[in-house]
This record gives sequence, structure tokens and C-alpha cells, in this order.
Amino acid sequence: MTRVSKQTLQEWFAAYTFLFPVLLGWGIFVFLAMVMSFYFSFTTFNLLKPPQWLGIDNYIRVIRHPDFLRYAVPNTLKYVAVVVPIQTVLSLIFAFALDQKLRARDFFRTAFYLPSVTSSVVIGIIFVWLFAPQGVINQLLGLDINWLNNTKTSLPTIMVVNIWSTTGTLMLIFLAGLQDIPSELYEAAAIDGATRIQMFRYVTVPLLRPVIFFVVTLGIIGTFQVFDQIYIMTKGGPLKSTMTWVYLIYFWGWQEVRPDMGRASAAAFLLAVTIFVVTMIQRRFLEGSEA
Amino acid sequence: MMRRKAVLTTLVLVLLAVVLGACAQQQPQTQVVEKVVTQVVEKPVEVTKVVEKEVPVEVTKVVEVPAERIEVRLSGWTASPEEENLLRSLLYECSVQRPDILVKYEPIPSDYWAKIKTMIGSGTEPDFYYMDIFQFPFFAEEGVLQPLDEYMAEAGVSRDEFLDTLINAFTWNGKTYGIPKDFNTLALFYNKDLFDQAGLEYPTNDWTWEDLKAAAQTIKEKTGVAGFSVPADPGRFPIFVFQNGGKIMTDDFSDTLLDSPEVIEAAEFYTGARAEGWAIIPQDVGVGWQGEAFGKGDVAMVLEGGWMVPYLSAQFPDRNYGAVHPPAGPKGEGNLVFTVAYSISVNSKNPQAAFDAIACITSEENQLKVLESGFALPSRKALQDADYLKENEVARTIFTGAEFATPFMWGLQGEAVNNAMAQALERVYLEGMSVEGSFKQAAEEVRAALQE
Repeated sequence: MTRVSKQTLQEWFAAYTFLFPVLLGWGIFVFLAMVMSFYFSFTTFNLLKPPQWLGIDNYIRVIRHPDFLRYAVPNTLKYVAVVVPIQTVLSLIFAFALDQKLRARDFFRTAFYLPSVTSSVVIGIIFVWLFAPQGVINQLLGLDINWLNNTKTSLPTIMVVNIWSTTGTLMLIFLAGLQDIPSELYEAAAIDGATRIQMFRYVTVPLLRPVIFFVVTLGIIGTFQVFDQIYIMTKGGPLKSTMTWVYLIYFWGWQEVRPDMGRASAAAFLLAVTIFVVTMIQRRFLEGSEA
Repeated sequence: MMRRKAVLTTLVLVLLAVVLGACAQQQPQTQVVEKVVTQVVEKPVEVTKVVEKEVPVEVTKVVEVPAERIEVRLSGWTASPEEENLLRSLLYECSVQRPDILVKYEPIPSDYWAKIKTMIGSGTEPDFYYMDIFQFPFFAEEGVLQPLDEYMAEAGVSRDEFLDTLINAFTWNGKTYGIPKDFNTLALFYNKDLFDQAGLEYPTNDWTWEDLKAAAQTIKEKTGVAGFSVPADPGRFPIFVFQNGGKIMTDDFSDTLLDSPEVIEAAEFYTGARAEGWAIIPQDVGVGWQGEAFGKGDVAMVLEGGWMVPYLSAQFPDRNYGAVHPPAGPKGEGNLVFTVAYSISVNSKNPQAAFDAIACITSEENQLKVLESGFALPSRKALQDADYLKENEVARTIFTGAEFATPFMWGLQGEAVNNAMAQALERVYLEGMSVEGSFKQAAEEVRAALQE
């Protein structure tokens, strides 16, 4: 057994003393909650009666439920596939633009970041008004579309809202990454006669690869878990056109007269596994192309 | 430069704090009732302001407050501050009438059912709480409510004192599990100004579907405003089914009748109203609820409940309106009744005190106060001759609507039935699907849910 010096022990003690409040909170409200939810996913549990062991059935019931495979999964995948690339590219472009010496740069940085610090409930309500049949959007475009009450436009509308509200946060992360790129590289590229666009393509993007990975990962996790805007703006409707994975979990667990916590927990674990797998694939993809 | 950044950062942080602060929920006030009581004991003079005539009696009673009062907790949702004040004033009355019981009121401002169910799961539910008819079958089936028949017999409270539809609705396997608190039915609210403009007579209680259609068409022609509203709302559409002699579920709730000819015919009339241009859905005029469209004057007639009265007087005080019974269909009258009761938890340590509190809140004297407040209709038969109902047309219409009303309740899979019904109508409105195909699909969805 290796001997631990007195100093190391003291350091450990100090470290854990400081960590204790966080670990306690995290242990109860995150870790314990996760373990309980994992247990519930193998039980029949309607909140009023103690859970009863059921086994793997809940997972089968999730997959077999028409709302899951017909609406929740395709809607969520569509959502991820559209929102993640657009918000990543947009926020990178904003970050690159705001990294230049522009007038009123700080104003734009704050302005673009503002949606991210605004409550998503407030954003949702504002966009319900903007996209109303007699709302600003229709008046500006000269259209008469009921954006949120049309099965074809409801999900894209929510995508727009999400892109608008998250681009600022991602832009900030990109900005931090951009500041880390040494200016000598740009100077060297300029001497070699590279244009701005070439610099962006061959200097900025490759050096930002770790940041891009981080932003895409955050984006994937966030979009797979989309809930608040849907809860505020459409409640999964019309005709389940905005029924997403997490909204379905919420519906099964909290909205039905007889709550089905077992099935809701099972769907939550399937989602966690899916996000994990997608993130791993994406990591392979981004890191693999670096070599 | 650095300083400017610091200023900006501070600005963003302040904004963040404001936004987060705005999100924080208000703490429910649980102590108010107790405070009122204490005040009365200390300064009996204060009572004069609140309880006018009976001051001397009340004061003697209050002075005799026992050293130990039995504490019972009550939870309910709050539809409006006014409604909450009404309940608080009833609780105050009862704290005077029954000084040995202290009711602690703990309102649940939103997500009431999720919260109550979680509280039951963790054994922390209040002694008695609001029970909606739509949720009732689940709670009764799971046995988390206290049967009240013995308490009622002992206290001399008879089932016959309450409107039959209401008390029967809270009966499960022959036992009573809730004392109806109040109720609402649907009425046809009509905009008098639009009727005048179109040169039409106001609707009457003996209107039929044909009268509704004719009037709505005339209003649309003469004023350009839609005559009627046919939302994809499972809390409105079923009355057309009842008026057509149909039902949503079988009597034992084991199967749905959404694909029966009576339902499909009713749905054809209902959705046809919009296709023929004399009715709208609220979304057509950019609102989520037809009550708002009515208030704004975007539709001349809507089927809504008594909640419209405080809503209109607060939001659209100039709206000149009346209300009559919903028009009768080919098979006569039909209506929905929405009702809420007080139920006692099976885990309550003081069920007797909880029952006594309920008996006090729902006593004839206190129910009269509910009626006169104008927020809800009392559950007691004896009040059908109250002066308030004679003088108040809208309240009388909604109260008497209970006569031919069916409770808004579709059994243990009520939510699935509601969703299937709403989506069946939406498919017709948004995707132009045939009524028959859409309702057959809805019936299949309900059957799938029933088999789970």
C-alpha cells in the first residue's frame, strides 16, 4: 500500500470540505434521482401506489407505442438534424464577424447574447405573438399563415425560435476559442496571400476543431432534449406535429390522468442512451478527420 | 477598454438576475387564515368590519377558542385572485363557526394534478383537497380517497341535499367520495350588439340546431363577423353528440362510441359549420380560446361556462351579452357539467375534522355566499329558488343547465379520449380528412389506450 503524505491528506480534506455542499446536492437531486428513475423504468408506477416490479416490459411498451415511433422520434431527429448544423454555422459566422475590429462590437456581442439570458418561457410567449395569424411576421412577409397551428409549419417555427435563442451562447464559446488562435498564424497566411475567406477556411476552422466538437455536442444534447418552447408554444400539437421525445416523456409522466412513470422513465433512459451513442459517433467523425 | 468590458459584463449579469428573479415562483402563503383568527381573539372590535350582524355571538364563540385546535390542511388550485379571496372568506366564516378546527389553506398555483399526485406518492398530501370530476375515477380506483357516507350520516348531511348529477358523479362503487363544491355547465353566450346589427331576435332557451345555423348565417351575411365557434375542444364538442342521442363512452367506460353513427353525424354538423362558412375555430382569428374571440367581438355566439362572466367583466367590460341554454339537437337537449368536490385523503390523521370543515364550507349558508359572489354555482338543490338566480339571467341559465347535463368524465383513460376527440376534429379542420375516417381512427386510438 502506498503511503500518503500528511500534506496530501490535508489537501484531500480541504478539497472535499469545499466540494461537500455541491456533492450533497448533486448526489440527492441528480445521482439519486437518476438511480430512482432507472429503477422506476422497470416498474409499474402511477405515483399513487408504490412501484411494482415489471421488468423489461416498459421498454417494449415505449417502442411499440405509436406516438413514440411515428411522432416523437422522427420529430426529434428532424429537429436535431436541422437545428444543430444551422446554429453551429450561424454562431461561428457571428463569432468570426464579431472577432474583427468592428464599430460597436461590444454592443453586438451583448445584443446577440441577450436571447440566451432571457427566460425561454418569455421567448416562447413573445414568439407566439410574433407568429400569430395577425402577428408581425405575417405582416412583414405579407402572408396569412397560421404558423403554430399548421402541421407543416409548426415544427420549423419552433426550430427558428430555438436557433435564434441558442446561437448567442454558442457564439460566445466560439469567440473564446477564436481569441486562443495566435495572430501570427493570420499574419503568416496574409503574407502568403490568403484571402479572408481562405483564412477562415484553412486557419480558423481547423484550429477551432475542439471548440466545434464542444459546440456540436452541446447542440445535440440540447436539441434532443427540446421541451420548454414546445410546452409554451404548441404543447406537442397540432396533431402531434411538434410531439418530441421529451415532451412525450412529460406527457406520459405528468399529463395523463393515470401517470405512467415506468414508461416515462424507460423513454428517458432510451433518450440518454441515444444521446450518448450519437455523441460518440460524432466524436469519432470529428476527431477521425483530424488525422 | 477593460473597463467597458467590465461594465458590459455587469450589465449582462444584472439582466440575468432580473430574468431569473422574474422566473422565481411566489411562495404560497399558508399562514393567512391563522392570522385572521388570532386577530379576532385579540381585538374583538375588528370583527364588526367583517361579520356585520352577528358580532356579539361571534365574539363569545371566538373567546371560547379551545387551547388546542385540530389542524387540517386544504389544497386547491387558484383560478383567479377573486376566487381565492372567496374561499379565504369562507374559511374565515368557518373558523368562527367551528373554532376548534384550524384549516391551513395551501394553494397550488399551477400543475395542480402533477403536484397532488406526487404528494400522495410521497405521503405528504393535504387532509382534504379539490377533486375534479375528470380526474376522480383514477383517485377512486386507486383507493386514495376516504368514503364519506358514515361521516355524512353522523353529521346529518344527506346526499339528497345536493344536485343529483353532481353527487352521483362523485360516487364510485356505491360510495360517496366527494362533497360537490360548485359546478358549471355550458351556455350559448351571444353578443347582443351583433344580433341587433343583423336585425335578429335574441336566442331563446328553446332554440334548435337549425335556429343556430340560420342566425349564424344571417350574422355572417349582415355583419361579416362569424356567427358561431366550433373549436377542436373535447370540452365543447360532446354536447352535440348528446343532443344527437349519442354518447362518448359506454356506460361502464369499457369501450368508446366515437365511431358510432350518432357521434359521426354530430361531428358532421359541428365541423360542417366551419366548412359552410358560418362558424370559425378560435385559431382562425388568432386566439387560442373562443372566449377571447367572443370578448373581442370576432364571433357572435360561443358555448362557454360561467367563468365567462368574471372574465368578460374584467377584460371586456363593454361587451353587451346574454346567455341561453345550448340549442337542442335532433334528439333534444344535452349539456356538459364540470364539477369540483372536496375529497378527504385516506391517509388523513383527522378525517372527522376535515369532514366538519367541508360540511361548514358547503353549508347552505356559505353556499349562498358562493352564489352571490358570482364566481361559481352552488351545489345545493335548496338554492335553486335563491333570489340571486331569479335576478341573474346568466347564472340561472347555467344553474338550470345541470338538469340535462352529463358529467365531463370519460373513465380511467379520460385523457386519451379527450386527445383522440380533439385530434379527430383537428384532422378534419387542418388536413381536410373525412369526418367518418377521422372518428374511426380516434375510436381505434381510444381502444388501444383502453387495452394497456
